[in-house]
Amino acid sequence: MTNSAIIAIAAAIAIAISTLGPAIGQGMTAKAAMESIARQPDSAKDIRSTLIISLALMEALTIYGLLIAFMLVSKIA
Amino acid sequence: MGEKSEVLFKIFGFLDVTGEVVTMWIILAVITVLSLVVKKNLKERPGKFQNIIETGVEYLDNFFSDTLGKKKARKYFTFLSSLFIFIIFSNYSGLIPGVGLTEYVKAPTASLSVTLGLGIVTFVFLQISGIKHNTKHYFKRFVSPMFFMLPLMLLDEIIKPASLALRLYGNIFGEETVTEELYHILPIGAPVVMMVLSLLFCALQAIVFTMLVSIYLDEVTE
Repeated sequence: MTNSAIIAIAAAIAIAISTLGPAIGQGMTAKAAMESIARQPDSAKDIRSTLIISLALMEALTIYGLLIAFMLVSKIA
Repeated sequence: MGEKSEVLFKIFGFLDVTGEVVTMWIILAVITVLSLVVKKNLKERPGKFQNIIETGVEYLDNFFSDTLGKKKARKYFTFLSSLFIFIIFSNYSGLIPGVGLTEYVKAPTASLSVTLGLGIVTFVFLQISGIKHNTKHYFKRFVSPMFFMLPLMLLDEIIKPASLALRLYGNIFGEETVTEELYHILPIGAPVVMMVLSLLFCALQAIVFTMLVSIYLDEVTE
């Protein structure tokens, strides 16, 4: 394999794996939030703001993977 | 990291002006003109335009009161809401057709230099307001449970603005890049999918950035 082929595969793996983990985590978070809103509709407002923050913090991990993938792709000559 | 911006021209011979800077000037001009117009025609019974702006300000006030409490939200309202308004304007500027395709106008937050600048401003603001709030006991926070926590706490202070900057940059730059790729595949129709998603994400990123800053502020000024 040539160098650029290896770099391309590396970029693909970087974005793929860094999407998988946070996606599972976000799904579990959203599930828990939905359940607790269904149980206590009064506290929906508090839960929503905490949910957005925790989703954003998990989203950041995916973004780091995306940045690494972009950096690798720009290395392909 | 990221793409290098093209220098359009120089001021005084050494200040490089790029497309992002030009777009920021336009955004600043729009915000300034908007607020001057509203300020000039303030009335007891608000008209249509004043009503919209008042709703926005009220929303921001409630938003910061949720995390900071009424008193502190009012005290730091100017900084936090300026941050919010600037970020949301520059995020949405990437959605205007033609922005990002030439080197003269680009969405400012799609460049790491701008978001890192915002992160540094936030860092300085947090430290200064923390020191002002409790002058004597501020540095006690770094060694609060035990002494060997000091390196971790110091690292935490640096990681906060860096992660804020990287999150905003990554999101907006990623969106712009994906839209551009879709544009290359099918110029008419395909980019709309990503742009509709961007309508949601741009507002969300501004909300997340300011909400995290207000949470850090709440931590510092306890």
